[in-house]
Amino acid sequence: MSPAPGFEQWLAPAPASAGGRLDWLQTQRAAARLSVAAQGVPGTKQEAWRYTSLSRLLEQGFVPAVEPVTLRPEALEPRLIPELDAYRVVLVNGRFVPGLSALEGLPPGVRVGSLAELLATDPDALKDRLNAVAGPDQSLFTALNTAGLDDGLVAIMGPGVCLPRPIELIHLSVGAAAPLLAQPRHLVVLETGAQAHLIERYVGLTDGLYCTNSVLEVMLGADAVLEHQRVQLESPKAFHLAALYVRLGAASNYRCINIAVGAAWARTDLRVRFTGEDAVCDLQGLYLVGERQLLDIHLDVDHQVPRCRSREYFKGILYGKGRAVFDGRVHVARDAQQTDAAMTNRNLVLCEGAEIDTKPQLEIEADDVKCSHGTTVGELDPEQLFYLRSRGIGAPLARRMLCLGFAAEVLDALGPEALRMHVAEEVGHRLEQAT
Amino acid sequence: MTVSPDVEAIVTSEYEHGFVTDIASDTLPPGLDEGVVRAISARKGEPEFMLEARLRALRHWQTMTPPRWAQVHYPPIDFQSISYFSAPKSGDGPKSLDEIDPKLLETYNKLGIPIEEQMALSGIAVDAVFDSVSVATTFRTQLAAAGVIFCAISEALRDYPDLVRPYLGSVVPHTDNFYAALNAAVFSDGTFVYVPKGVRCPMELSTYFRINARNTGQFERTLIIAEAGSYVSYLEGCTAPMRDENQLHAAVVELIAMEDAEIKYSTVQNWYPGDAQGRGGIYNFVTKRGDCRGARSKISWTQVETGSAITWKYPSCILRGDDSVGEFYSVAVTKGRQQADTGTKMIHLGRNTSSTIVSKGIAAGEGEQTYRGLVRIAAKAAGARNHTQCDSLLIGARCAAHTVPYIEVKNPTAQTEHEATTSKISDDQLFYCRSRGLTAEDAVSMIVNGFCKEVFKQLPMEFAVEAQKLLSISLEGAVG
Repeated sequence: MSPAPGFEQWLAPAPASAGGRLDWLQTQRAAARLSVAAQGVPGTKQEAWRYTSLSRLLEQGFVPAVEPVTLRPEALEPRLIPELDAYRVVLVNGRFVPGLSALEGLPPGVRVGSLAELLATDPDALKDRLNAVAGPDQSLFTALNTAGLDDGLVAIMGPGVCLPRPIELIHLSVGAAAPLLAQPRHLVVLETGAQAHLIERYVGLTDGLYCTNSVLEVMLGADAVLEHQRVQLESPKAFHLAALYVRLGAASNYRCINIAVGAAWARTDLRVRFTGEDAVCDLQGLYLVGERQLLDIHLDVDHQVPRCRSREYFKGILYGKGRAVFDGRVHVARDAQQTDAAMTNRNLVLCEGAEIDTKPQLEIEADDVKCSHGTTVGELDPEQLFYLRSRGIGAPLARRMLCLGFAAEVLDALGPEALRMHVAEEVGHRLEQAT
Repeated sequence: MTVSPDVEAIVTSEYEHGFVTDIASDTLPPGLDEGVVRAISARKGEPEFMLEARLRALRHWQTMTPPRWAQVHYPPIDFQSISYFSAPKSGDGPKSLDEIDPKLLETYNKLGIPIEEQMALSGIAVDAVFDSVSVATTFRTQLAAAGVIFCAISEALRDYPDLVRPYLGSVVPHTDNFYAALNAAVFSDGTFVYVPKGVRCPMELSTYFRINARNTGQFERTLIIAEAGSYVSYLEGCTAPMRDENQLHAAVVELIAMEDAEIKYSTVQNWYPGDAQGRGGIYNFVTKRGDCRGARSKISWTQVETGSAITWKYPSCILRGDDSVGEFYSVAVTKGRQQADTGTKMIHLGRNTSSTIVSKGIAAGEGEQTYRGLVRIAAKAAGARNHTQCDSLLIGARCAAHTVPYIEVKNPTAQTEHEATTSKISDDQLFYCRSRGLTAEDAVSMIVNGFCKEVFKQLPMEFAVEAQKLLSISLEGAVG
């Protein structure tokens, strides 16, 4: 079978790294190639792509980044958050760069580093874990990622380990003559009672055109706790695809804050599945969508077992000719009694030409549940604006203040402080253009 | 949850309105092709343009495949095994009630719709549709004095072709969807209402539908036109006889409201839902749409859906005129193996248009239901407002309730709100009622009625009482 038209280039063979010699991994890659061919290019008739056309993505002719990029540490400097004290993993165009990373002082029982390296040194640690959460029936872009699966971040915490500092993943894209494609693959495993904090940051080194198609699998054992913050600040021309697969064990706790500000065209798929009772999942998000930007967020929270709690809270600010799509789904399976789920999506539309399409769905098959969702779309409150103006504040500043107030609810939840400051500054900068 | 034996007995009780009246029918053999469409048109004595419109619809339908996107499950329908026309034999057409087949009148009486009494007591004009031909129309003269036309659509096509022609298919064109195309090709009969400029219709208009004769799909076509400044309230209610095979019902309803006009359309639907295993029962695949063409016009849909094996309908409003208003109030009950995928579409095109959606879903037993709604604010619809509230109540561990709202906003001055909750009847509420001496059944009935009150109060009085009764009967035994 031939691959889906438009994606032939994406499936170019990965370089002969250690993973290429593993039978089980080759089988997974081959299955993914078949799945890509079988799926074809989804059109807007398909519900998952109803509001987002892939034609702009396909027109770009992205080619996989195969040449390793050598960067001097100074080049990375402007993209660092100086006060952020973290274990640092730096990927450039999808590949781990040891020279830029900082992994000293990891406690025993913890493995943090490059996926490619671990595939070479201890593949058995990955055999039953890679693709275990994403599962065999993968969506097109996850299958494309799996087909070329090679490098990315891997973080494995043994039972009861509590990581003292956050892990900071910086994914840096460096342009070339041809528009490049990076498909990093990340795996985070927290065994029973482990605790960790992961900060994912996606940035471009230049303002160039490139594409990132990342996949992250998170496996939380019983009582594990993961704080996860994802900051997408890609370059203004970039294309960004991200799929997050999270599996929650009994009484585990997953908290994720998703900030999406960059890229010309971005799609995020967040899939959370409860497999153990009494687990808690808290998803928050903030998106800013401006001139000619498209941002598409899909959530799929699957309550398979009783007594779990999930919160989905997403806020968006739209301006220019920006367009945002929010498609959230909460599913409560037949036996998942005493589920408590609440989904909220609030949107602020600042000017004419912006568009928001939102679809918060509930699918409930159990009766003893408490589920709700709410959505609002509106402009800035003229009365609040008037109040600020009557106190001598100019219109642009007043609008910016109100927008920042709207965003603060999500921004304030970010931590550590250095990260919060960094993101708030970026958001403030963009709102300056918007208002 | 345990179910007491008494309750069990009520749950398994047979459908009260189930019976087949044995009268001779003039029925076409099963199958659908140009010949059938020509035969239907000829039997109706329709003008030439109507036959052409039907044939266009048929040719378009033949290129289409049935939609599968709704969250309902049923075996594929063999459209060639359905008979597309069935008219009760009634000679040369009755001139008064005395001439109507006594068997027919008996059917109405069994359903508790004594036409004569209703005429006298409630002041409601009844255009009763028995299968496909309108056999009784009352109070026509009184309505005529007001200038209101209320008749069977086949009659309207014969008597007022120039009035019907520009409107029929203008809100729901035959290209709209699979079942609308089918209806446009083979619709048998239905209701036509025309309210002239500035007239307030002197009474509530009502049509009782009843499906009869085995294996005949019923394809109703309703067209209501309210001219500038007029008002009309229309009531639609249905029951059906018990039968084994699934029966397809694919109606199309078109409403047109001109400047300052208001149309209120209320439905109580209680068709045969199938037996405990989900066999039999009506497939209710309906396209209902209202067009607020004029400024400040208003269209309001109210529905109480308790019957049918599958309900699949989205009464919609196109808010074209500036300051026009759309409303949708719905109570849907699914129990046994019933499935419902219902909701509304509010398409805001004009400035300062507003819409309200209140949807109450009750799922019991193994019932499955979906609220599916669309609120679209077009780029030019400045100042548009929408408020949506959709709540689901779950009774029993094997039912399911889904909410799928689509909200598409292209104008920054628009304001939309959507709220939805899903829960079971709270134990606290039940305990409170029980502690004051109410039985569990009464307590549930009271709570459910409270849950639906917002919708019921939109119904005309007679309907509200009927709907409330229907709801409590529907849910009898659903709770233990």
